[in-house]
Amino acid sequence: MPFTAPDCPAVKGFIETSFVDWKGHLASVLFLGGCNFRCPFCHNRDLVLNPGGLEDVPIEYVVATIRKYRAQWIDNIVVTGGEPTIHMNVFGLIGLLKSEGMSIKLDTNGSNPSVVKGLFNDGLIDCIAMDVKGPLDRYSRWCGINVNDRKVRESIEFIMECGIDYHFRMTVVPFLHREEDVYTVAAELQGAKDLIIQTFRPDVTLNPAFSRIKPFSADKMTQIRANASEILAGSGKEELVGPHKLGIAGPETEQDNLYQQ
Amino acid sequence: METTDLNLFVRTSEESISGWNRSKIVDALIRETLIDRDSAEEISKEVEQMIRKSGIEVITAPLIRELVNARLIEKGLETSRKMHTRLGMPLYDVDSLILHPNKENANVPHGPEATNLTLAEGIKKEYALLSVFSQEVADAHMNGDIHLHDLGFVDRPYCSGQSLEYIKKFGLDLPHSLSMAKPAKHAEVLLAHLVKFAAALQSHFAGAIGWDAINIFFAPYIEGMSDGDVKQLAQMLIFEFSQQAVARGGQAIFTDINIYWEIPKHFVTVPAIGPGGKFTGKTYGEYEKEAQRFAWKLFEVFKEGDGAGRPFFFPKPIVHITEKFFHTDGHMDFLNLISDVAADKGNTYYVFDRGETAKISECCRLSFKLEESDLLDAREPWRMRYCALQNVSLNLPRLAYMAKNDDTKLFNLITERFVLAVRAHKEKRVFMEKLLSLGENGPLALLTMNRDGMPYLRFNHASHLIGMVGLNEMVQIHTGEEMHDSKRALKFGIKAIAHMNLLTEKMRRQENMKIVLEQTPAESTSYRFARLDLRYFSPHAGRIMKGDIASGEVYYTNSTHLNVKHAMNPIERVTTEGLFHPLIEAGSISHVWLGEAQPSKEAIADFVIKTFKHTTNDQIAFSPEFTTCNKCHRTGRGLTDTCSYCGSTDVDGITRITGYFTKVSSWNKGKLGELKDRYRNVEFFSEKRKAAND
Repeated sequence: MPFTAPDCPAVKGFIETSFVDWKGHLASVLFLGGCNFRCPFCHNRDLVLNPGGLEDVPIEYVVATIRKYRAQWIDNIVVTGGEPTIHMNVFGLIGLLKSEGMSIKLDTNGSNPSVVKGLFNDGLIDCIAMDVKGPLDRYSRWCGINVNDRKVRESIEFIMECGIDYHFRMTVVPFLHREEDVYTVAAELQGAKDLIIQTFRPDVTLNPAFSRIKPFSADKMTQIRANASEILAGSGKEELVGPHKLGIAGPETEQDNLYQQ
Repeated sequence: METTDLNLFVRTSEESISGWNRSKIVDALIRETLIDRDSAEEISKEVEQMIRKSGIEVITAPLIRELVNARLIEKGLETSRKMHTRLGMPLYDVDSLILHPNKENANVPHGPEATNLTLAEGIKKEYALLSVFSQEVADAHMNGDIHLHDLGFVDRPYCSGQSLEYIKKFGLDLPHSLSMAKPAKHAEVLLAHLVKFAAALQSHFAGAIGWDAINIFFAPYIEGMSDGDVKQLAQMLIFEFSQQAVARGGQAIFTDINIYWEIPKHFVTVPAIGPGGKFTGKTYGEYEKEAQRFAWKLFEVFKEGDGAGRPFFFPKPIVHITEKFFHTDGHMDFLNLISDVAADKGNTYYVFDRGETAKISECCRLSFKLEESDLLDAREPWRMRYCALQNVSLNLPRLAYMAKNDDTKLFNLITERFVLAVRAHKEKRVFMEKLLSLGENGPLALLTMNRDGMPYLRFNHASHLIGMVGLNEMVQIHTGEEMHDSKRALKFGIKAIAHMNLLTEKMRRQENMKIVLEQTPAESTSYRFARLDLRYFSPHAGRIMKGDIASGEVYYTNSTHLNVKHAMNPIERVTTEGLFHPLIEAGSISHVWLGEAQPSKEAIADFVIKTFKHTTNDQIAFSPEFTTCNKCHRTGRGLTDTCSYCGSTDVDGITRITGYFTKVSSWNKGKLGELKDRYRNVEFFSEKRKAAND
């Protein structure tokens, strides 16, 4: 099939086969450069701060690869970033992928609900994964810039009601987040299908100081996940008053100790 | 015979000190060699003369023997000298052996039993090279042209596939054993028989003991048991096999268990044997639900891991994925369960039996395709006992150094080495026939026991394996490119293996022996070949060698695998490596190294289905890495210097070495080099990766 690329944002990274980016599916992953957030714990530093310094992956190569694998191996593709919704021509890109017969999952930080809604209304996306960075009332603290949390709330509401598959994700960063912050988020998302709680990875971070933070232990994360899923499923927000009621794994960091004193 | 007035004492090998007696030299020479009496007398006098002159007061028997050997050499009696050889080890070697661990095989723990094994192996190796094999074969082994595997076990067959039906039908009645047990009436007893029989077999085979369709053959005993009891049974089976450090040198028994979700066609109408060794009146086809229940519980146990959450090293569960698998109820749930185990613990091996072939997997990657006659055997499954007598691997990179870019020369060298390997097989076969012909009074009495009209070891069914090491490097030397570099290089690699495949066919007909190609696991062989080639083919070899020459952690890529370091889409890896698999009859595997990444079970299941449908790959396994803590006894993901739970530095790394899991601290240098290189597919499996071109 002859191929002319539509107006598309530059693709800054392309993983042909991923086992982890779309829960339950084999998928390819496209990375778009640039982001409107500056989360200090972000592990895609160059993609956010210096997308121009990364080479473009030609869209022709992406399409050729998709065509090579789609019949037998992969018919799912994840569009991630950076933040894909900051590019107005993301419609062109996702439309192109869709016309190649792929199912699309969009990764977003929820700051542009109108783009998400637009993509949904055009029938271009099959799944949305939104990163919730922390409790909504202090959103600027988590993302390093001033954020209109109204937009974020709007995205959350839309995602939960739009009817297509979705996932919420939160990365837990010791010192930035308190354990209770996770529970607050869980309460704010109450009734959502799921909240994937990810362990922070200190290898590369946007703010270099964060690469010295030690993630919570596996035990503690297990405990946090269990508590959060309980809250997500039912117990009300008002019940949420700190570690005492929630069977916490025990003091882990200095921060915990301070909190409990 | 004159008596000697020599005031000399000899420390003999019988733990005694006796006076000097020259006639003992004469006796030994005449008993052991083809020398005539006069020459023997003469030599003994010369040796006596020499000792007398030296004024020595106490002498050891081995030294006298070597002095005699020196005389034999002087007289040009080379054949007799060889026959008069003494096998043994220097004091220094024994001392360091007893103190330090042996790293040739990571499955051997360090301890008195292990030392015994290494000492015995050392002598049997020397014996094999002197006495079992011809000089040409022995020399080729020693200089690294070929590798004769498990020479220290020269008096045993290599590996085997067993049938649980044998003990179900005949009970546990082993030659020379202290008591005889009738066929088991209860599942637990059958399990005990299985483990004991496996232990007995392990002391008669050098390599793996594989059990076919274990969940199906257990099924008649499971009928009526509660789910809790079945789980308990599964737990017992896995713990028994993983904790029995009783085999050779205190190792665990190297066990594979083959598991089917469906009842394979060749067993559907076979009458089932149940408690007491009696036919139950039903066929195995009617036990599908029970077999599935047991398979499910086995994998639940694998998922939980051992008491510290580590993966079980043994038994290795091998799940057969067949066309029928996809037509059997509940197969997706089961696939998700075993993929969960693959992602979390790594245990699961997926074997793909496409079309109508039925296969039994045994060793690390050795599997047997069941032929027409075997399918007849399947009517009486206790007859389904298979073995490979020996495994010989070719050092392929060396041939490319020698061929100097001449195709004809290279292929001719492959042929020459192949023929040499066949010769090695014939020599081993003659030796094994000699041992087995001694029957119930011989060393392999267990293998000659005859309960069903034929000896336990069916010699005429035995295979002879020929493997290869470093195809990738051979292609690299010859064409200038590694196999992942270009289609041209890959095609050349396939051509070489196709040539070996053709040789297999030819030699099989010519020698009337079942010769099959296999992918050698080559846990220590790839290191050994690499080291020897560095010695003989430097500086060229140094540029080709994988690993790190400075630290001595060098290796050749295993068998027909692609460079483990090369960043590669796992789809491409299983597809490309799978191109070789149809040419390698005895079975092959592709490894997908996961590192610390933990992919989702559904994605793995999806990948497995597509590998079955769209590639010719024979077998895949996913290998995660773990760090287990000796302080808090917990196990975390990834290879780390400290425990991720308690921070202790007293930790052990665990991952798959070739065909089994083991502690990294026990690995040889070559494998350590490979471990550092292994491309862990982080881009594909892990959430921590960055943009692709970072």
